[in-house]
Amino acid sequence: MVDLLFIGLSLLAIGGAIAMIAYANPMYSALGVLISMLSVAGIFALMHATLLFLVQIIVYAGAIMTLILFILMFLNIREEDLPKEPNKFKLIALGAVIMVPLNVLVIKAVSKLPSKDMLLTNTDFGDIGPVGLVLFNDWIVAFELVSILLLVALIGTVVLAKKRVKRAKQLGEKS
Amino acid sequence: MISLTSLAFVSMLLFSIGAIGVIARKNIFVIYMSIEMMLNGINLFLVSFARYHFDMDPQVITIMVITIAAAEAAIFLSVIILLFRSKKSLNTDVFTTLTQGEKS
Repeated sequence: MVDLLFIGLSLLAIGGAIAMIAYANPMYSALGVLISMLSVAGIFALMHATLLFLVQIIVYAGAIMTLILFILMFLNIREEDLPKEPNKFKLIALGAVIMVPLNVLVIKAVSKLPSKDMLLTNTDFGDIGPVGLVLFNDWIVAFELVSILLLVALIGTVVLAKKRVKRAKQLGEKS
Repeated sequence: MISLTSLAFVSMLLFSIGAIGVIARKNIFVIYMSIEMMLNGINLFLVSFARYHFDMDPQVITIMVITIAAAEAAIFLSVIILLFRSKKSLNTDVFTTLTQGEKS
Protein backbone atom coordinates (compact mmCIF):
# COMPACT_ATOMS: atom_id res chain seq x y z
CA MET A 1 0.00 0.00 0.00
CA VAL A 2 2.71 2.45 1.04
CA ASP A 3 4.81 1.36 -1.92
CA LEU A 4 1.96 1.99 -4.34
CA LEU A 5 1.41 5.40 -2.75
CA PHE A 6 5.09 6.22 -3.10
CA ILE A 7 5.18 5.14 -6.75
CA GLY A 8 2.06 7.13 -7.56
CA LEU A 9 3.30 10.27 -5.82
CA SER A 10 6.71 10.01 -7.49
CA LEU A 11 5.15 9.59 -10.93
CA LEU A 12 2.91 12.61 -10.28
CA ALA A 13 5.87 14.69 -9.09
CA ILE A 14 8.00 13.81 -12.11
CA GLY A 15 5.06 14.20 -14.50
CA GLY A 16 4.31 17.66 -13.14
CA ALA A 17 7.95 18.66 -13.54
CA ILE A 18 8.01 17.38 -17.13
CA ALA A 19 4.78 19.28 -17.86
CA MET A 20 6.51 22.40 -16.52
CA ILE A 21 9.34 22.29 -19.05
CA ALA A 22 7.23 20.96 -21.94
CA TYR A 23 4.33 23.43 -22.10
CA ALA A 24 4.82 26.74 -23.86
CA ASN A 25 2.11 28.52 -21.88
CA PRO A 26 3.37 29.48 -18.39
CA MET A 27 -0.10 28.93 -16.90
CA TYR A 28 0.03 25.21 -17.67
CA SER A 29 3.63 25.13 -16.41
CA ALA A 30 2.51 26.66 -13.10
CA LEU A 31 -0.22 24.06 -12.74
CA GLY A 32 2.33 21.32 -13.39
CA VAL A 33 4.59 22.75 -10.68
CA LEU A 34 1.60 22.84 -8.32
CA ILE A 35 0.92 19.13 -8.92
CA SER A 36 4.60 18.35 -8.43
CA MET A 37 4.81 20.28 -5.15
CA LEU A 38 1.70 18.64 -3.72
CA SER A 39 3.11 15.21 -4.62
CA VAL A 40 6.40 16.09 -2.93
CA ALA A 41 4.37 17.06 0.14
CA GLY A 42 2.82 13.60 0.03
CA ILE A 43 6.27 11.99 -0.09
CA PHE A 44 7.24 14.14 2.93
CA ALA A 45 4.26 12.65 4.76
CA LEU A 46 5.45 9.15 3.81
CA MET A 47 8.87 10.09 5.23
CA HIS A 48 7.17 10.91 8.55
CA ALA A 49 7.96 14.64 8.29
CA THR A 50 4.54 15.88 9.32
CA LEU A 51 5.56 19.48 9.98
CA LEU A 52 7.28 19.74 6.61
CA PHE A 53 4.23 18.20 4.94
CA LEU A 54 2.14 21.06 6.30
CA VAL A 55 4.77 23.70 5.56
CA GLN A 56 5.17 22.44 2.00
CA ILE A 57 1.44 22.63 1.34
CA ILE A 58 0.92 25.99 3.08
CA VAL A 59 4.03 27.86 1.93
CA TYR A 60 4.89 26.31 -1.43
CA ALA A 61 1.53 25.30 -2.85
CA GLY A 62 -0.49 27.85 -0.91
CA ALA A 63 1.65 30.97 -0.95
CA ILE A 64 4.36 30.79 -3.62
CA MET A 65 2.39 29.11 -6.39
CA THR A 66 -0.65 31.26 -5.70
CA LEU A 67 1.60 34.31 -5.96
CA ILE A 68 2.97 33.06 -9.29
CA LEU A 69 -0.52 32.35 -10.67
CA PHE A 70 -1.70 35.76 -9.45
CA ILE A 71 1.19 37.54 -11.18
CA LEU A 72 0.65 35.48 -14.35
CA MET A 73 -2.99 36.55 -14.49
CA PHE A 74 -2.16 40.11 -13.41
CA LEU A 75 0.33 40.64 -16.24
CA ASN A 76 -2.29 39.60 -18.83
CA ILE A 77 0.17 37.73 -21.01
CA ARG A 78 -1.01 37.17 -24.58
CA GLU A 79 0.16 34.61 -27.07
CA GLU A 80 2.47 37.08 -28.86
CA ASP A 81 4.23 38.05 -25.61
CA LEU A 82 5.51 34.52 -25.14
CA PRO A 83 9.06 34.02 -26.40
CA LYS A 84 9.41 31.78 -29.43
CA GLU A 85 11.46 28.71 -28.64
CA PRO A 86 11.98 26.83 -31.91
CA ASN A 87 14.68 24.44 -30.66
CA LYS A 88 13.32 23.92 -27.17
CA PHE A 89 13.29 20.12 -27.32
CA LYS A 90 16.81 20.00 -28.74
CA LEU A 91 18.02 22.07 -25.78
CA ILE A 92 16.07 19.87 -23.38
CA ALA A 93 17.82 16.81 -24.82
CA LEU A 94 21.17 18.58 -24.48
CA GLY A 95 20.41 19.44 -20.84
CA ALA A 96 19.42 15.84 -20.15
CA VAL A 97 22.74 14.65 -21.58
CA ILE A 98 24.55 17.17 -19.36
CA MET A 99 22.68 16.09 -16.22
CA VAL A 100 23.09 12.31 -16.68
CA PRO A 101 26.63 12.00 -15.19
CA LEU A 102 25.69 13.86 -12.00
CA ASN A 103 22.65 11.63 -11.53
CA VAL A 104 24.64 8.46 -12.09
CA LEU A 105 27.29 9.63 -9.61
CA VAL A 106 24.82 10.50 -6.85
CA ILE A 107 22.71 7.36 -7.26
CA LYS A 108 25.79 5.13 -7.31
CA ALA A 109 27.06 6.80 -4.14
CA VAL A 110 23.69 6.52 -2.38
CA SER A 111 23.15 2.90 -3.39
CA LYS A 112 26.44 1.97 -1.65
CA LEU A 113 24.97 3.03 1.72
CA PRO A 114 23.61 0.22 3.92
CA SER A 115 19.87 -0.18 3.50
CA LYS A 116 17.57 0.67 6.38
CA ASP A 117 13.85 0.35 6.92
CA MET A 118 12.32 3.62 5.74
CA LEU A 119 8.72 2.73 6.57
CA LEU A 120 6.44 4.56 8.96
CA THR A 121 7.02 4.05 12.63
CA ASN A 122 5.00 5.09 15.63
CA THR A 123 7.25 7.87 16.89
CA ASP A 124 6.97 11.62 17.18
CA PHE A 125 9.81 12.03 14.67
CA GLY A 126 9.23 15.10 12.54
CA ASP A 127 6.37 16.47 14.60
CA ILE A 128 6.21 20.18 15.30
CA GLY A 129 7.45 19.79 18.88
CA PRO A 130 10.75 17.97 18.31
CA VAL A 131 11.55 19.95 15.15
CA GLY A 132 10.85 23.18 17.03
CA LEU A 133 13.14 22.13 19.87
CA VAL A 134 15.97 21.43 17.42
CA LEU A 135 15.24 24.68 15.55
CA PHE A 136 15.34 26.86 18.66
CA ASN A 137 18.21 25.09 20.38
CA ASP A 138 20.76 24.17 17.74
CA TRP A 139 19.82 26.46 14.86
CA ILE A 140 18.91 29.67 16.66
CA VAL A 141 21.54 31.80 14.86
CA ALA A 142 20.41 30.55 11.46
CA PHE A 143 16.80 31.19 12.48
CA GLU A 144 17.56 34.80 13.39
CA LEU A 145 19.54 35.31 10.18
CA VAL A 146 16.65 33.94 8.13
CA SER A 147 14.27 36.32 9.89
CA ILE A 148 16.56 39.23 8.97
CA LEU A 149 16.62 37.93 5.40
CA LEU A 150 12.82 37.95 5.29
CA LEU A 151 12.80 41.53 6.57
CA VAL A 152 15.32 42.54 3.88
CA ALA A 153 13.21 40.80 1.22
CA LEU A 154 10.13 42.67 2.45
CA ILE A 155 11.88 46.04 2.28
CA GLY A 156 13.37 45.18 -1.10
CA THR A 157 9.98 44.29 -2.53
CA VAL A 158 8.46 47.53 -1.26
CA VAL A 159 11.31 49.54 -2.80
CA LEU A 160 10.99 47.68 -6.10
CA ALA A 161 7.22 48.10 -6.24
CA LYS A 162 7.44 51.84 -5.58
CA LYS A 163 6.50 54.17 -8.42
CA ARG A 164 9.52 55.74 -10.05
CA VAL A 165 7.98 58.69 -11.84
CA LYS A 166 9.90 61.19 -9.71
CA ARG A 167 13.25 59.61 -10.37
CA ALA A 168 12.63 59.48 -14.12
CA LYS A 169 11.71 63.18 -14.04
CA GLN A 170 14.88 64.05 -12.13
CA LEU A 171 16.93 62.15 -14.66
CA GLY A 172 15.15 63.97 -17.45
CA GLU A 173 15.90 67.38 -15.89
CA LYS A 174 19.55 66.55 -15.45
CA SER A 175 20.12 65.44 -19.03
CA MET B 1 10.38 -0.55 -2.03
CA ILE B 2 10.83 2.85 -0.37
CA SER B 3 14.58 2.67 -0.23
CA LEU B 4 16.98 5.55 0.03
CA THR B 5 18.06 4.89 -3.56
CA SER B 6 14.55 5.27 -4.97
CA LEU B 7 14.06 8.48 -2.98
CA ALA B 8 17.41 9.79 -4.20
CA PHE B 9 16.39 8.85 -7.74
CA VAL B 10 13.15 10.85 -7.52
CA SER B 11 14.81 13.87 -5.94
CA MET B 12 17.70 13.89 -8.39
CA LEU B 13 15.23 13.59 -11.26
CA LEU B 14 13.33 16.62 -9.94
CA PHE B 15 16.61 18.54 -9.55
CA SER B 16 17.73 17.59 -13.06
CA ILE B 17 14.43 18.57 -14.63
CA GLY B 18 14.76 21.93 -12.89
CA ALA B 19 18.30 22.39 -14.20
CA ILE B 20 17.18 21.39 -17.71
CA GLY B 21 14.42 23.97 -17.49
CA VAL B 22 16.95 26.67 -16.60
CA ILE B 23 19.15 25.58 -19.52
CA ALA B 24 16.51 25.06 -22.19
CA ARG B 25 13.69 27.54 -21.68
CA LYS B 26 13.59 31.24 -22.48
CA ASN B 27 10.39 32.17 -20.67
CA ILE B 28 11.46 33.89 -17.44
CA PHE B 29 8.48 32.49 -15.52
CA VAL B 30 9.41 28.94 -16.46
CA ILE B 31 13.00 29.62 -15.42
CA TYR B 32 11.80 30.81 -12.03
CA MET B 33 9.61 27.74 -11.60
CA SER B 34 12.55 25.55 -12.61
CA ILE B 35 14.61 27.08 -9.80
CA GLU B 36 11.78 26.28 -7.41
CA MET B 37 11.76 22.72 -8.74
CA MET B 38 15.49 22.37 -8.05
CA LEU B 39 14.93 23.56 -4.48
CA ASN B 40 12.11 21.04 -4.17
CA GLY B 41 14.33 18.20 -5.27
CA ILE B 42 16.99 19.18 -2.74
CA ASN B 43 14.32 19.40 -0.02
CA LEU B 44 13.19 15.87 -0.81
CA PHE B 45 16.78 14.67 -0.66
CA LEU B 46 17.31 16.29 2.74
CA VAL B 47 14.09 14.89 4.16
CA SER B 48 14.86 11.36 2.97
CA PHE B 49 18.30 11.57 4.62
CA ALA B 50 16.65 12.86 7.81
CA ARG B 51 14.50 9.74 7.83
CA TYR B 52 17.50 7.55 7.01
CA HIS B 53 19.68 8.84 9.84
CA PHE B 54 16.72 9.46 12.17
CA ASP B 55 18.02 12.97 12.72
CA MET B 56 16.02 16.19 12.83
CA ASP B 57 18.68 18.62 11.55
CA PRO B 58 17.97 18.16 7.80
CA GLN B 59 14.31 18.94 8.40
CA VAL B 60 15.32 22.22 10.03
CA ILE B 61 17.53 22.99 7.03
CA THR B 62 14.54 22.24 4.81
CA ILE B 63 12.47 24.78 6.73
CA MET B 64 15.24 27.34 6.13
CA VAL B 65 15.29 26.50 2.41
CA ILE B 66 11.52 26.94 2.16
CA THR B 67 11.76 30.31 3.94
CA ILE B 68 14.48 31.49 1.59
CA ALA B 69 12.42 30.29 -1.38
CA ALA B 70 9.50 32.39 -0.13
CA ALA B 71 11.72 35.48 0.18
CA GLU B 72 13.14 34.76 -3.29
CA ALA B 73 9.61 34.47 -4.70
CA ALA B 74 8.69 37.95 -3.47
CA ILE B 75 11.83 39.60 -4.92
CA PHE B 76 11.87 37.63 -8.18
CA LEU B 77 8.22 38.25 -9.01
CA SER B 78 8.45 41.98 -8.37
CA VAL B 79 11.53 42.10 -10.59
CA ILE B 80 9.61 40.18 -13.29
CA ILE B 81 6.78 42.72 -13.10
CA LEU B 82 9.22 45.61 -13.53
CA LEU B 83 10.96 43.89 -16.44
CA PHE B 84 7.67 43.09 -18.15
CA ARG B 85 6.51 46.69 -17.74
CA SER B 86 9.65 48.16 -19.26
CA LYS B 87 10.28 45.60 -22.03
CA LYS B 88 6.80 44.13 -22.71
CA SER B 89 8.32 40.70 -23.06
CA LEU B 90 9.05 37.57 -21.07
CA ASN B 91 11.98 36.50 -23.22
CA THR B 92 15.29 36.33 -21.38
CA ASP B 93 17.14 37.30 -24.58
CA VAL B 94 15.56 40.76 -24.37
CA PHE B 95 16.87 41.45 -20.87
CA THR B 96 20.43 42.05 -21.97
CA THR B 97 20.95 45.48 -20.46
CA LEU B 98 20.81 46.40 -16.80
CA THR B 99 19.79 49.98 -17.59
CA GLN B 100 16.37 51.33 -16.81
CA GLY B 101 15.53 51.57 -20.47
CA GLU B 102 16.53 55.15 -21.24
CA LYS B 103 18.83 54.06 -24.01
CA SER B 104 16.46 51.78 -25.86
